[in-house]
Formats: sequence, structure tokens, C-alpha cells
Amino acid sequence: MSHRIMIIDDEKIVGDMAKISLEEEGYEVETFLNAGPALKKLEEQPFDVVVTDLKMKNIDGLEVLRTVKKLYPNTKVIMITAFANLDVAIEAIKEDVFDFFPKPVRIKELKESIRKALIPDDKP
Amino acid sequence: MKIERKIILLNAIYLVLIVIIGGSAIQSLNSVSSKQRFLEIADDLNTSFLEMRLSEKNYFLFNNITALYEIKTNISKANDVLDEVKDDIIPVIGESGYNQLEKGLYDYNVAVTEAIDNDSWNQQIADNIRAKGHDLEETSSRITKLEREHISNIINRSKLLLFSSFFAVIVTALIVSRVVSRMVLKPIKYIELQARSIAAGDYSKIESSIRRDEFGVVIEAINTMSEELEQREEELIQSKKLASMGVLVAGVAHELNNPVNNISMIAQTYEEMYDKLSPSQRREFMEKVDQESERIKQIVDNLLDFAKPREPRLSEVDINELLRKALLLVQNSLNVANIKSRVELAEGLPRLLLDENQMQQVLVNLFVNAAQAMRPEGRLTVRTSLDSENGMVEIRITDTGKGIPSEYIPHIFDPFFSTKEEGGTGLGLSVSYSIIKSHGGNIKVDSRMGLGTTFTIQLPVNDQEKGSA
Repeated sequence: MSHRIMIIDDEKIVGDMAKISLEEEGYEVETFLNAGPALKKLEEQPFDVVVTDLKMKNIDGLEVLRTVKKLYPNTKVIMITAFANLDVAIEAIKEDVFDFFPKPVRIKELKESIRKALIPDDKP
Repeated sequence: MKIERKIILLNAIYLVLIVIIGGSAIQSLNSVSSKQRFLEIADDLNTSFLEMRLSEKNYFLFNNITALYEIKTNISKANDVLDEVKDDIIPVIGESGYNQLEKGLYDYNVAVTEAIDNDSWNQQIADNIRAKGHDLEETSSRITKLEREHISNIINRSKLLLFSSFFAVIVTALIVSRVVSRMVLKPIKYIELQARSIAAGDYSKIESSIRRDEFGVVIEAINTMSEELEQREEELIQSKKLASMGVLVAGVAHELNNPVNNISMIAQTYEEMYDKLSPSQRREFMEKVDQESERIKQIVDNLLDFAKPREPRLSEVDINELLRKALLLVQNSLNVANIKSRVELAEGLPRLLLDENQMQQVLVNLFVNAAQAMRPEGRLTVRTSLDSENGMVEIRITDTGKGIPSEYIPHIFDPFFSTKEEGGTGLGLSVSYSIIKSHGGNIKVDSRMGLGTTFTIQLPVNDQEKGSA
């Protein structure tokens, strides 16, 4: 069974490009432009990795991070942001973010990060 | 001259005036009192003259020689009195008056002595005595009468003097107060006006060289303050510019980052997946790159508009027509969003001198904002009216959207401030603001949460409209 990756970014191209590259790696990818529908989908079924943009209107990436961690503590969350902000980064680390990418995103690095995220934790 | 000195001078003049009045009053009183002294003496003398005439009558009636001796005694007494008070009465009746009295007495004395020496009755000598006695009495009472008139004159003159000086004091007081108020109030009024114009932002210097007094010093101080203020304002503007530059740069960085990231991700995917992409996919990728480049260009254009708004190219424009045109441009978006529009345009508005393209940009921007703020079934209302009192045409654009939170209102025209959920550059309203300002107009916003927002634009009516047409 292939791993399920969720990508949330209000820039459509981010999701589109990430989807093409990640599907090439054999992942099952779903993209969302808004966090609302994405979180709804998460309630229905789990994902292995959630890649979310930080700065979105209505629900931001930190909110997504918190909700995901509450629903599925084992799901890894990778955050991307157009605007690096130390406070937000610290907040995200506290909330157990797996990785943090500033835009422009290097797709290879993102893939590498997802690969690492999918290695099961040593601890049960 | 310094005002302090002027006031001292005026007070000094006033004091001198009062001293002169007082002095002349005292002089008058002195003169009256010395004449009074003379009148007392004259009364004594008149009494003794009267006694002489009585003795004279005794002599005529009874031919009594003793009476003549009594007269002589009285004459010598009168002479003694005259001698004694000579210094007192000469200033009053003058040397000639005194001499007349003395001569009268002397002549009388000669006549009486002649009668005594003659021993027997002689009608001629008797007539002579009577005549001289009469002369003496006449002289004395004439002088006395004259002096009484003098006293009355002096009193009248003093009265007049006091009355006129009373008026002089009142008139001088009025003049002095007027002069002082002109000296003090006029420059204060002037300085007040200047201070107001400084408050209104006019930092031009006040002419101070004409005044050498305290006000000159005050004006000098105000000028220094004004210079300081101007400099501070300049600094403030600079620091505000810097601050908005900071906002601008941060905004640009953020706004540009997204399309740049998109292009970068397309490029990475394109390179990596080149062999697996179909020709149509490759074309699609490149179209996307082009679109994202266009997005960057838009941001840069807006930025340039903001950084260096071009001078408006003015032409006479029917504002109602311009509004209808702008509305037509957004009609499709309104239809898609199911938003009704209503126009209430005032008839007979004066044509305005506007840059049609810039103003259309503003209107379209406001319409699009309004449309985006509303749910379906919303209503966009556009009204125009003439504010003839202020010489302005007013355009009101009202939506029934969700409203702008009051804490956002002060920033609504700031560059890169956006409340839109996606795709807003945050430059639209700030560019609109600078366009309206460059037309000499105003734009303001009034919003109520849940009810909607009204943007009001005021544009000046051109006074020379007819002349330039």
C-alpha cells in the first residue's frame, strides 16, 4: 500500500507540481487550496505526511499542524512558508513539526524530507 | 523703542501733566490767600480811614482842632501799618497801588497839617481836607474792590483750570489706553495670525526686522520655533517614508516570493520530468511560467505606480459616464458573483478635470473590492452628488459586505495592507488613494461590521471649467 501525502497551499501550482513529482515516487497525493476542506478530509481518513503552507487566510499552517497532531500524533507535518519568521518556526517546532521549508522550495529536498518522515519511529 | 520704555514714557508724561495741574492749582490758592491777607489789611486801613473821616466831620461841625490831631494820629498809625505790611501788599496791589495809597495819606496829612498850622477856620483849607480825605477813601476802596474782583477772577480761573484739566486727564487716559492697546494688541493679533498659519503648516518666516521691541524678540523666537518645527516635520516625514518603505519591502518580498516559488517549482518539475511529460504538458508548464511572470510584472507595475505615480493627464470628464463605464467593466464579475448593482447618479453635475484612465482604475478597484467583500445576493450602490458648498463632486460606493474591522480602518490605505483571503496585492487602495490625492480630492471609508462599507470620494470642481472649455 502506497503512502498517502496531503498537500495544502493556496498557490495551486505548488500542489500541482508537488503532486507530479511525488506521484512519480509512488506516493498517493491529494492537494487542497484551503485548510478547511483538507482538515475535513483528514477527519475522514488518515494521511502519512501533511505538507502545508504556513500563511493562509482563515486557517493557517500552525492551526493545521495542531489539528493533525491531535487527530493523528504519528502523522508527520512538513511546513513551507514564503516568509521565514523565527517566532513561527519556534512555535511550529514546539508543536512537533517534522520539517520546515522556506519558499522557493527545492523539490528534491522536499522529497528527501518526506522519505525520512515515512521511516517509522524507533519508539513505539 | 521697547514697549516697556514706551509705557514708562507715557506714564512720565501723565505724571508731568498731573504735577502741572497740581502746581497751578496750588499757585492759584497761594495767590488767593495772599490777596485775602491784603483784604484783611485793607479792611483795617479802611476802618482807620473811616475814623479819619469821622474826625474830619467833627472838625467841620464843631471846628474842633482836637479832631485834626486825632486824624493825624490815625494817619501816622495808617502809615505805620502800610510800612509794616509793605512787603506783603506790594506783590498784591503792585508798586503803583502802594504809592497811590501812600501819596493819598501824604496829601491828606499835608492838608490836615495846613489846617492845624492855620489855626483859624479857612473854607479853602477845609475843602482841601475834605477833597484829600475823599480821595484817600476812594483810592483805598477802589483798590480793595479791584482786589476782590481779582480774587473772584482767580477762583473762576482755577475752577476753569480744574475742569479743563479734569477733561484733559480723561482724554489723555483714553488716548494713552488706545495707544497702549495698539502698541500691545496689534502685534499680539499679528503674532496670533502667524501662529495659526504655522499651525496650518506654513513655515515661512515672519517679518521681524520692523520691530525692535519685545514683540521683535517674540517673533524671533517664533521664527526659530517654526524652523525647528519644519525640520522636525521633515524628519518625521522621512522616518514615516522609511517605515512605509520597510512595509513596502516586506510586502514586495512576500508578494514576489509566491510566483517566484511557483516558477521555481515548475522549472524543477519540468527538468526532472522532462522525458515523461507530453508535449502538451510541457506547453502547459511554460504557459504557467508565463502567467506567473505576468503576475510578477503586475506586482512590479503596481509598485512602480505606487513609488512614482505619473502625473495625471487631465481632460474634462462626465463623472457619471465614467462610473457607468467602470461598472460595465466589472459587470461580468458582478453577474458571476450574483451581485446586484444600483446607480443613483445626480443630474447636471459639472464636468470634472480628471485623468480618465487613472480614475477608472480607482473605480474598478473599488467595485472589485466591494464585489469581493460581498456574498451572493449582495448589492453594490453607486451614488453621485454635488457638494456645492465645498465645490466638490461626491461619489459614494456602498457594498453590503461583511465590513472592515475598525482596527483595520486606519491601515486600509497603507501599501500592502490587504484583508483579502487570496490574491490581493495590498496595493490597490493605496494606489487609489494617491491617484485621488493627486487630483486634489479625498477618499475616506466608513464601515460597519456585518452591514457593509462605503467609500466616499470627493473630487474638486474645476473653477475655470468654462474658461478652459
